[in-house]
Amino acid sequence: MKRPAIGTAAIYAGALLLVLVCLFPFMWMLVSSLKELRELYTIPPSWIPKNPTLENYASVLWESNIPRYFLNSVVISVGSTVLAIILAVFASYGFARFRFRGKAAAQSFVLVGQLLPTAAIIVPLFITLRWLDLVNTYWGLILVYMIITLPLSVWMLTSYFRAIPPELEEAAIIDGASRVGVLFRITLPLSLPGLVAVAVYAFVTTWNEFIFALCFATDSSVKTLPIGLAEFTTEFNTDWGSVMAASMIMTVPVALLFLSMQRLFIGGLTAGATKG
Amino acid sequence: MRRLPTGLLFAMPALVVMTMLIAYPVVYTGILSVTDADGAFTGAENFRDVLAARVTPKAFQNTLWWVGGSIVFQIILGTATAILLNQKFPGRGIVRSIAVIPWVVPGIVAATTWAWMFHTEFGIINYMMTSSGVADAPIGWLTNRHTVMPAMIAINIWKLFPFVAIMVLAGLQSIPNDLYEAARVDGASFWDETWHVTLPQVRPVLIAVTLLLVIWALNHITTIYAITKGGPANLTLITPIQIFKLGFEQFQFNQAAALSVIFFTVAMVIVALYIRFLAQGGEIAK
Repeated sequence: MKRPAIGTAAIYAGALLLVLVCLFPFMWMLVSSLKELRELYTIPPSWIPKNPTLENYASVLWESNIPRYFLNSVVISVGSTVLAIILAVFASYGFARFRFRGKAAAQSFVLVGQLLPTAAIIVPLFITLRWLDLVNTYWGLILVYMIITLPLSVWMLTSYFRAIPPELEEAAIIDGASRVGVLFRITLPLSLPGLVAVAVYAFVTTWNEFIFALCFATDSSVKTLPIGLAEFTTEFNTDWGSVMAASMIMTVPVALLFLSMQRLFIGGLTAGATKG
Repeated sequence: MRRLPTGLLFAMPALVVMTMLIAYPVVYTGILSVTDADGAFTGAENFRDVLAARVTPKAFQNTLWWVGGSIVFQIILGTATAILLNQKFPGRGIVRSIAVIPWVVPGIVAATTWAWMFHTEFGIINYMMTSSGVADAPIGWLTNRHTVMPAMIAINIWKLFPFVAIMVLAGLQSIPNDLYEAARVDGASFWDETWHVTLPQVRPVLIAVTLLLVIWALNHITTIYAITKGGPANLTLITPIQIFKLGFEQFQFNQAAALSVIFFTVAMVIVALYIRFLAQGGEIAK
């Protein structure tokens, strides 16, 4: 059926507005990061930098702690993602393929982890980490991020494993393969898209997290990028050019990762939500 | 000894870790809330102290505004975006990719970028408003008592409406086409279709998404903390930030724990009421 002209116009107007709203802050971040200090504080502000310069990037890269924090963020995000995936693979396989007493309770226990308010567990978690001597260590942050990404990872992977026909595994078991062997040689390769989706979710969540890092990483040897960004902002004086350059440095890697994996990731996330 | 079931063995490592790092802290919060700094039992004293503080009711009130204001607009804008992105038009794929950008941008980056855009003197928002004549003079978005909370809510809406859009879009795509065809045979307009076919069909998704948004908003500290730290004059102090400040700025771990228990209980009651209310509503609709 043909759409009336007014409908088409409305769609284009809506799409244009949507693009502007979503893209504008990001574009403004880019534009501001390329401006000279003087131009940044000029009224009226210019839409395009008059003398585009990389000096903000240079000062972030050579005169701040950002490179160190970038490295910390990479180590912590990769570490917690790998650990979360390993635990989630086994747990999801157990939930997807076996019946056992208390399974429903165990599954809801894992999901409740997703519902707990951060504020409610942050104090005891801090005390626990202090007791384990893990405050201001990579391991402490890796553990914390692993548990906050674990619930949704288990949820997503369980639905992926369920979608793989068990008959494929049964044949291998008859041939004498072990359960773990079957999991690694048959189930995992088949659920690779799901695995990638979960990994992207865990990585991006960890990369972006601010509050836990603020509490558990007070030493610059373990601080992550979000903390570095907040450090540029002081009460009386903010170097907005550097802030915007650091924001770009922090955003572009995850945005690229996310956009390249978008189909997989969104598919994995929505699979669970629309089945019910 | 009986052997543990295989499924449980697979799930065990995750369950052990979750118990250690989630269940234990939760129990420990309870213990902290009824003891003092030396670990001696004090009964309800921490609760009395924290409830007697003047900022506590103010923070509860701010939290309600923050959660309510964010969610209403996130749901409306997200659903409208999903309906738009479900139409066929050239460039739809690109628009869909761009529409998830706010959601992908790290929370702290969104906060600082918007803080720069809301800047009173050099912010682009004030410039656009004054140069177009919408406002006579620059507005102190982040310092004016009437604008600071709405500004925070606006950032939160911008950040999360794409998530609503993605989820609702997935729901829209699973609606069978014959429902629309039947509606069109009956001469339904676009609005009739939206109201009588689309919205009822995506109701389950909207319910699930709203629940998630409530939990996230109750949880969310980054945007407000990064920009105003709860100020000025506690105007944007929401309960999670109050807990955070009690614990990590004033080192009143026991009072922070008492407030956590109250906050957690209220949050869970809201979530439970919501689920119950909607479950009943669902029965009537059937």
